[in-house]
Amino acid sequence: MSDPAALTLADAAQALRQRELSPEDLLQACRRRIERWQPRINAFVSQELRNSPREGPLGGIPLAHKDMFYRTGRVSNCGSKIRRGWVATETSAALERLDAAGALDIGSLNMSEFAYGPTGHNEHWGDCRNPWNPEYITGGSSSGSGAAVAARLVFGALGSDTGGSVRLPAAACGVTGLKTTWGRVSRHGAMPLSHSLDTIGPLARSAADCALLLDAIAGHDRRDPVSSQEPIEIGIERPIGAMKIALSTAWIERNAHPEIAAAVLGAARALRAAGATLLEVEPPDFDLLSAHCLVVMQAEASAQHAQWMRERQEDYSSAVRARLEAGFAIPAAQYLEVLRLRSAWLERFRSTTLGGADLYLVPAIAMPLPTREQTGPRGGAEMPKLLAGVTRLTRWVNYLGVPALALPCGFDAHGLPIAMQLVGRPFAEGTLLAAGHAYQLATDWHQRLPPE
Amino acid sequence: MIEAMLAAQGVPLAPGRAERLAPGVNALAVADPLRAGLAFEVDATTYLLALSRNK
Repeated sequence: MSDPAALTLADAAQALRQRELSPEDLLQACRRRIERWQPRINAFVSQELRNSPREGPLGGIPLAHKDMFYRTGRVSNCGSKIRRGWVATETSAALERLDAAGALDIGSLNMSEFAYGPTGHNEHWGDCRNPWNPEYITGGSSSGSGAAVAARLVFGALGSDTGGSVRLPAAACGVTGLKTTWGRVSRHGAMPLSHSLDTIGPLARSAADCALLLDAIAGHDRRDPVSSQEPIEIGIERPIGAMKIALSTAWIERNAHPEIAAAVLGAARALRAAGATLLEVEPPDFDLLSAHCLVVMQAEASAQHAQWMRERQEDYSSAVRARLEAGFAIPAAQYLEVLRLRSAWLERFRSTTLGGADLYLVPAIAMPLPTREQTGPRGGAEMPKLLAGVTRLTRWVNYLGVPALALPCGFDAHGLPIAMQLVGRPFAEGTLLAAGHAYQLATDWHQRLPPE
Repeated sequence: MIEAMLAAQGVPLAPGRAERLAPGVNALAVADPLRAGLAFEVDATTYLLALSRNK
C-alpha cells in the first residue's frame, strides 16, 4: 500500500477493520507527514497523543482538533495570549464522543485568536498557512483544521462555525467542511464566541468522511441548553434522483469571479447529471442577513469577553480588539430586535428561497482568495473590503442557523481551490452529505493533493 | 456617542478609536423589510420553535 496517510478516513477505517493496516501504521504515516509539512504551514500548536486507543467505529484513526475543545488536564490556548497555557478541567462533549468512537487525538490545531477572525492570521501563535500556497490565507477561524486535513496530516478535524469558520478554511484549503444546524452538536466544553450562532462541525477529506465524524459527535446533550433532540439520519448512499437543488445562476454570474462562477455552475450541472433537479430561484438578501449575523456575533462576543476587555486589552491582537470594541457599541434593543427577526427570516428562506427544493447551491467564497499580506496587520486600505468579501456568503447561514456543506469544485488560475456551498433546512445534514457524496463520486476535486 | 457607550461599560477606548469604529457599527443598522410585519408577541426564544417547524 502507498502512503496510508493519503487514504480517506472511510478507507483507513476499513483497512483497520480488515487488518491490512494497524493503528500504529496510520499514526506513523501521519507523523511523517506532520514532520514534513508543519514547518511550512504551521497547522499544529501541539503534537501529543491526548487520549488512549479504544475499539469503536473510528478505532485507531488519527484526528486532531482546533485548540478550543477542552480536555481534562490538557492545555487549550484558544489561539490567544490570554489563555496561553490554560488547563481545562472538563472534556468537551464532542471529544468525549470521538473518544467513545475510538478516534485518536494526536494534537491541537492552530486557529484564529478566540475563533474571531476569518483568515487564519494569528500574531500569538503564528499564521497558519495554506498548503496549496503558503502566501495565501487558509481561511479561519478553524485554520489549522483546514490546513492539516488538506495536507493529509490527520484524517479529520473538528472546527467551530460562528460566521463561516468551518466552511471558509474548508473552501480555501480544498477539503470538505460541514457547518451543522444550531443545536445539532453539543457545545459543552468548547470555547464560546457567540452563543446564538456557535456550531461545531467536522472538516475531512470527503462528504463520506464528514458523515462518519458527524455520526460520532451528533446527538442530544443535556449539558448544552440548546442541544437538539432531533434524530440524526445520515444515509449518504441515498440516491439523489428525487432531490431538488435551488440556485440563483444570474446572481452567481453577476457577483462571483468568473472562474468561481464557472466552477460552481459546473458543479450544478454535475449534480443534475447525477440525477438532481435544478430550480432557479431569487437569492436571499445575503448582505442584510450578514449584517444581522454581525450584530448578534459582535454583541455576544463582546459580552463574553467583557471582563478581559476591561482588564487585559493589551493582550488581544489589534484586529480582535477592534472587533470586540465594536460589539460594545451595539445597542441592546438593536441586538434583540435582530434576534426577534430571526424566525421570520428562517421561514422566508424555507418558503421562498428553498420553496420546493431540498438544498440551495451557492459559492462558499465568491472572490479570489486574498494573500496573507493583503489581509494581515500590514494590509492596506482594501483590507476591510477583502475581509467582507471573504465572509459575504457564509454569515447569512449562521444567522438562519441552518446547516451547510462546503466542498471543493475546482481550482483557479493560481492553483488554489474553489468551493461550492450547499445549504439545507434545519437538521438536514443527511441530505447535504448525500448530495455532497453523490457529487464526489462523480468528480475528483476532493482527491487532489497540495504540491509537496 | 461610541466613546460614551464603551465608557459606560467600563471599556477604555484609545483616542481616535471611536471615529474609526463608527462606520462599521453604523453599517449594521440596516433597514429590514420584515420588521414592519413582526408580531408583537415574537421574542428571541421563538426561534427555537421555528427551527423545528422548518425542518
